[in-house]
Amino acid sequence: MKKTPQEKKIQQNLQPGVITLTGFLGNDHRFYQDIIEEDKNMLIELCITPDEVADRLQYFTDLAWDSYDGPIIIDEVYQVEYKSYRGKIPCPFLHPGLFPKGTITLRNLFCQKEICWTPLNIHMIRKHCFFEGKGTPHRIEPNEIIEILFCKES
Amino acid sequence: MIISILMTVGIVAGIGGFFALLLIIAESTLMNYGECTITINDKKKITEKGGSSLLTTLNNNKIFLSSACGGRGSCGFCKCKILKGGGPLLPTELPFLDEQEKKDMVRLACQVKVKEDISIEIPEDIFAIQEFAGKVTSIKDMTYDIKELTIELTMPKEIEFKAGQYVQFVAPRYEKSRQSVTRAYSISSNPDHKKFIELIVRKVPDGLCTTYIHDYLKEGDTVNFTGPFGDFLIQDTHKDMIFIAGGSGKAPVKSMLEYLKAHKSKRKMTYLFGARTEKDLYHVELMKKLEDDLEHFEFVPILSKPDEGSKWSGKTGYIMPFLKEFIGKPENTEAYLCGSPGMIDAVIKELHNLKITDEQIFFDPFS
Repeated sequence: MKKTPQEKKIQQNLQPGVITLTGFLGNDHRFYQDIIEEDKNMLIELCITPDEVADRLQYFTDLAWDSYDGPIIIDEVYQVEYKSYRGKIPCPFLHPGLFPKGTITLRNLFCQKEICWTPLNIHMIRKHCFFEGKGTPHRIEPNEIIEILFCKES
Repeated sequence: MIISILMTVGIVAGIGGFFALLLIIAESTLMNYGECTITINDKKKITEKGGSSLLTTLNNNKIFLSSACGGRGSCGFCKCKILKGGGPLLPTELPFLDEQEKKDMVRLACQVKVKEDISIEIPEDIFAIQEFAGKVTSIKDMTYDIKELTIELTMPKEIEFKAGQYVQFVAPRYEKSRQSVTRAYSISSNPDHKKFIELIVRKVPDGLCTTYIHDYLKEGDTVNFTGPFGDFLIQDTHKDMIFIAGGSGKAPVKSMLEYLKAHKSKRKMTYLFGARTEKDLYHVELMKKLEDDLEHFEFVPILSKPDEGSKWSGKTGYIMPFLKEFIGKPENTEAYLCGSPGMIDAVIKELHNLKITDEQIFFDPFS
């Protein structure tokens, strides 16, 4: 299907070397809307919304931020660390505003699985249902979300 | 059948092409805004062909408003007051403007298209901002992820700046980037030295500009930057100064301390520098030397996680609990902060607990 100039611009912004060094698509060669579509369907199967995922990531982000510069144990299950850096980056989907540079790393101490995200990831999940392409350092696999992020509740 | 399909496709393509041509002609004739005059601060006038953004038009005339996103409307740095002209406020500007700024007719220069005569107001300091070219004369490893660059100015040959200000460094398109990128870095050298600047740059994971500086830039290379920007400056008072920094946040503090030393400051100064391990410490000897040179200066490195078995005998932990020890009279103290946003946020909270008000706290805008 023909892409609009805006869609082409977004696809370009997601490439390596435009906004970040490695970009947002990893080794996933699909158009970004196809990635979103597949992840959206997976969320529907899991009965969870992008807002709920974003809220959960924001919850860990806020607590880790308050702990300042070191790992913190949250709810006895999650070890979370927030590393912040100077500077800000824009949203590749052309939203106004800048997002702080930083990496939040969460290790689920029950299943021993680890995921990593940035403040920009929370925005992209909430507003665009974009979890990044497969193979990026900050890709969160929707099918792992329940196991890793909602351990206690599930 | 095939012929009629091909004819239909041809006719549709022809009609599309005709309208595209019509649009191009309309844009170049009907959308011709002619010469527009921009009046700046009621005294300077520039005249340019209309149609470009205000930011671009000003840049073309060597007037550089701060911008971290290259005019994409995503950083909100290029604010200026538009007293006349400029059209209505756009939805793309709203997230960056508070109510007071809207009342004060503040706009984002990158979003305002020059279509008519415009009258604007910008800080006088902006006229001092210039484009510079320089040669990298030295690149030193400060730690495993921090480098210090020395750039000798070639065009123009001198820079006027104040301690604490920053430049916007341009990393050209290189192997790992698809376009040139601009990032802000504080100047770490003494402003009395006008023929060169020093920058301290920490490598940011996935960072386009810091990867260029760390992995591609070589001594002898030519670099470009604009500046100076920023109002993170030494306040002209006699109050005690407490500097709090971490990582590459040492840059503006080093510039300030070297300036204060050169000008024989008698102010009481304490510098708390937070790092994780001894591997993250740098310029320690330089700071110790400043303790000898400045009458009332103390340098206090603090490690949050010294390596097991290390011989570290200094203070251990986060900076915040030590602040109380070094703040004599809160009302007579100014705090200068530079470091990661997490550190700055945590330190500000503790300073508030110690009765230091926001008016006494100064930090970089791009932290």
